[in-house]
Order: sequence, then structure tokens, then C-alpha cells
Amino acid sequence: MKKLLLILLIVFLISLPLVVKSQYILSLMITLFIYVVLAESWNLLGGYTGQVSLGHGAFFGVGALVTRLLWINKIPILLSLPLGGIGAALLAAIVGIPCFRMRSAYFPIGTLALSMIALLTVSNVFISAGALSPQLLKSYEIFSRYYLALFIVLLSILTIHYLVRSRPGLAIVAIRDNEKAAAAIGIKTLKYKTLALLTSTFLAGLAGGIYAYQHVSYYYDAPFDLTWSFTAPLTTFIGGISTIAGPIVGSLCFLALSEIFAVTLGQVHVLIFGFCFILIVLFLPGGLLSMKTETLKNIRKRIEKAKVDS
Amino acid sequence: MFQTLAYGILNGLLYSIIALGISLVFGVMRYLNIAHGSLIILGSYGSLYLFRFGIDPFVSIPILMISLFLAGIALFELLYSNFVDLVEGLRVQKSLLVSFGLMLVIDNGATLIWTSDEKSITPFYSGMSFELFKGFHVPVIGLAGGVLAILVILALHLFFTRTYFGKSVIAVSQDPEAASLMGVNVKRAFLISFGLSVCLGAIPSVLVGLQAFSPSVGIQWFNKGIIVVMLGGLGNIYGVFPAGLFLGIVEAVSVFFFGAPYREITGLVIFVLVLILFPRGLFGKIPE
Repeated sequence: MKKLLLILLIVFLISLPLVVKSQYILSLMITLFIYVVLAESWNLLGGYTGQVSLGHGAFFGVGALVTRLLWINKIPILLSLPLGGIGAALLAAIVGIPCFRMRSAYFPIGTLALSMIALLTVSNVFISAGALSPQLLKSYEIFSRYYLALFIVLLSILTIHYLVRSRPGLAIVAIRDNEKAAAAIGIKTLKYKTLALLTSTFLAGLAGGIYAYQHVSYYYDAPFDLTWSFTAPLTTFIGGISTIAGPIVGSLCFLALSEIFAVTLGQVHVLIFGFCFILIVLFLPGGLLSMKTETLKNIRKRIEKAKVDS
Repeated sequence: MFQTLAYGILNGLLYSIIALGISLVFGVMRYLNIAHGSLIILGSYGSLYLFRFGIDPFVSIPILMISLFLAGIALFELLYSNFVDLVEGLRVQKSLLVSFGLMLVIDNGATLIWTSDEKSITPFYSGMSFELFKGFHVPVIGLAGGVLAILVILALHLFFTRTYFGKSVIAVSQDPEAASLMGVNVKRAFLISFGLSVCLGAIPSVLVGLQAFSPSVGIQWFNKGIIVVMLGGLGNIYGVFPAGLFLGIVEAVSVFFFGAPYREITGLVIFVLVLILFPRGLFGKIPE
């Protein structure tokens, strides 16, 4: 039943551009795909590995920057997109691994600082907006972008799904649950944390690559903006951390809210999401997805209690 | 060159006092409060309103201190009190996440109320400076801020070493369990330290307010503070003073050599380098 629904959903997403011709809806879908890939990649690191990154925007941005620069210099997108991902993973290797050697608080702060360095450097070095050349502009159409984005979404979801169920994935989850105990039974913690970091940042770089491929013209520092770093944990937590479906649900809600309020109240969706985020961290650590089971559990508890009392 | 150094030292004192608030919370209870910068900016708005009523920014510091202290206590009771009994690693992570949400709420709420325009408090003495000797100017506001910062750091030092309650807070920071066995009310120590930490934000509130502020700069000031905390060694409250001066001077010197746009980057790059080369901070003493 579940599998059938999934296949139906994928078929629906593949056939969507054939039915819907609206550029607005298709580009909204691409934005959703970007959010989903970014959140899923954050989830691998923050949810499954337990390393909260507050600077995922840096990896997203590097992916976008590398892809964009290669692509407008006439390297085919299918080559420059993975190269962007590799660029992001390289940056992670240089900065992230030293952070891993230290106590838990260093990694979030280190990544936050990294994303600020990246933002400031890029906005100082690349001052003009990166517009496309006339040839590229002429050949611009939304379908190839839609399908490429869809492909990356499926790729990242499958990668994470199979990774966390494999042997290295189990090691990664064991490290999250208790790093010292994991090390004591012979898991090479640094190795597996690095594996998770590199996979996660590679996927974040791919998400950045789609952003670079989708937009006709943008300032080079736009994908480095701190909001990218912040939306990934927000959407993941609100949907449900350490699940595959959580980031998707969270991203959907986030995008829907931002579209509703975009015209009237600007950034108010971040305010609402920030508020929900606090509530979820405090009272519902499983996110929206766990709401049903949690309420059922509560009701059952109450019934039991009532029985005992009577 | 002397001039550059002087500016560096004055800025460094401002960084130290921001870092002190963050370090106090981290050192005593292993909470990481990302919203510290945003709370400082809230204080700046408060100071701006008081200034419009004709109250001098430096006079408004005590008012801000009391209101921020109360705000800190309310925030602790509402948001942070659930984590008191958790183990250290979880406490860091949970408090980080909650304060991250709080930061988003404060920043975006402030943008809704006061728009994202840059504001600044401008009393008659803003921008004034006096010439100490030929070619060496000292800005009035910077000097007053620096003196205040030193006074507060001294007062805090006396509080921690001379008063009974201060000593009990230090005891909690060293070993909460042992402290509670000796009859220290750990939760109250946490509550007061958190309130004190937010209350210390009143001085940077006014100093930042006298420069320029908008809802989005909170995270930047937090970043400055946390860099200083980490340079000084995470958990080492006294490390923030030399570390703040170090960062301020290095930044000032880098402006002298590379120009203003790269000032922020130098600080951050030094931070990452220190993180890689001296993981326990430049002045850290506490082993992991």
C-alpha cells in the first residue's frame, strides 16, 4: 500500500510538467525540490549523525557558485553540477573535520562562522550579479530544470534511505546515540562522522547547483545567505527529525506559508516557524510526523490511568 | 599605529563584555544561548525609546539592566528550565536549538515591529573625541564604554570570589552534583546566572545602539562574542578578557593593512585557525 502510494506520487511528479504549463507552479516545485534536498542533506548530518550544523548555507552556496561559474563558462551542466557538489564536500573536509575532533558545541558554531566567512568573502569578491550569456538565455526552458531537480531529489532521498540502513549507517546512528560507547565497541567514530559529513555536504552542494541552474540572474552571494542555513534545520525539525519524510513535510509547510505571506507580511513565515520550532523542540521532539502516534499514546495513557483509578 | 591600537582595545572591550554574557551561561550551566545577540539588539531598541523620552543612553543602562534581568529570568523559566537535569551534551544541544528558535522569533518579530531599517542613538556627544596628545584621538563613547566594561568585569569578579552566592555559582559550574550535595540550590544558581548573563547585555546594548543597529545584526554580535569565548577557551569565564582584547587589536590591525571590508573576515579566519590549531582556545586552562 505504502509502496503503491510512493510510486503514484513519483508518477505524478514526473507527469506534472506535461499537464501543468504554468511557469510559476513549475518553478515553485523546483524551489520545493531545492528545499527538500537541502533539508534531507541537513537531516543526514543533524538527525542521523547528531551533528547540528548551523552553516549548511555555506555548502549550498559553494555548490551554487562552482556550478554557476563552470556552467556559464560552457561546461555542460551534467558535469558542473557534480563538480559543485564535490567543491562543497571539499570545503567541509577542510573545516568540518577539525571541528569534529572537539566537543559537541564546536561544530554548530564552527559551521556558523564558516557560513559567515563564506558570505562576506563572496560578497566582497563577486560584486556584480551573475547573468547568463545570450546563448544560454535563448536555450533556457524550465522542463530540463524541473526534471534535473526531480532527479536530484530522488537521488538524495534514495542515497540517505539506503545509507542509514547499511552497516556504515548503523555505525553513524550508534555514534549519535552514544559516541563513547560506539567507540568502545570498535566503531571508528571520526571515519563515520566524516563519511556522513561528506555525503551530506555533497548533496547540499547539488541543491546549490540546482539553484544556480534554475535562476537566470542573481547576486553570487544570494545562495550564501544565512536564511539557507536556517531553513534546513527549521524544516527538518518541524517535519520530524531523523526520518526521510520529515524534511519533505517541513519543506512543504514552509514553502506554503512563505507563499501565503510573501505579498502581505514579508518574512512573517520565519517568525511562525521559529515559534513552532521552539514548541517542537520542547514538547514534540519527533516533529509533526510523530503527532498522531504521540496523541494516541497520550490518550491510551489517560485511559489506563482512568482504569487504574477506578 | 597607536590610534589603531586604541580603537582595537576599545572594540575589544566591547567584544569581551558580550562574550562574558555568553561565557557565563556556558561556563556555569553548559547552555549555549544563540539568542544573546538578539537580546542585546532588543535592549538597543529599548535604549532608543528611552532616549526619545529624553533619557541619556548611559543613564538608561541601569533601567535596561533590570528589565533585561527580568526578561532573562522569564525566558529561563519558560524555555530553558526543562533541560536542567539533562546530561551535558544534550544540554548544549537542546539549549542551542531552543535559543536558535528564539533568535528567529526575536529577529523577525523586531523586523515586523520596527522594520529592517538601520537605526542609531544620537546624543549630542556621539562622534566626539578628544586629543590626548598630538595625533592621538580617543572617542568619548568608546572610552566610556571601555571603562564601563572594565568596571563590570571587576564587579563580576568580586561577586564570584567574595560573595557566598557567587562562590556557590562557581561551585555549580565545577560540579553541579557535588554542589547540590553541599546544599547549593542548583536550579536557583542557574536561574540567577542566566538572568545575570542577559542583564550583562545592557552595556553592549547601549554601545551597539550608539553605533548602528537593525534586527539582523544580532547574530553578527553573537558571532563576535562566541569567537571571543572560544578563543578564550570554552567554559573559562576569565579567558574572555584577554581574548576580546586580542580579537579587537587583530581586527584593528587588519583594517590598517587590508582595508575595512575584510575586517570581519580576519576575525572569523583567526577563529577557524585557532579552532584547528589550538582546540582549547588561546587562553584555555580547563581540560575537556
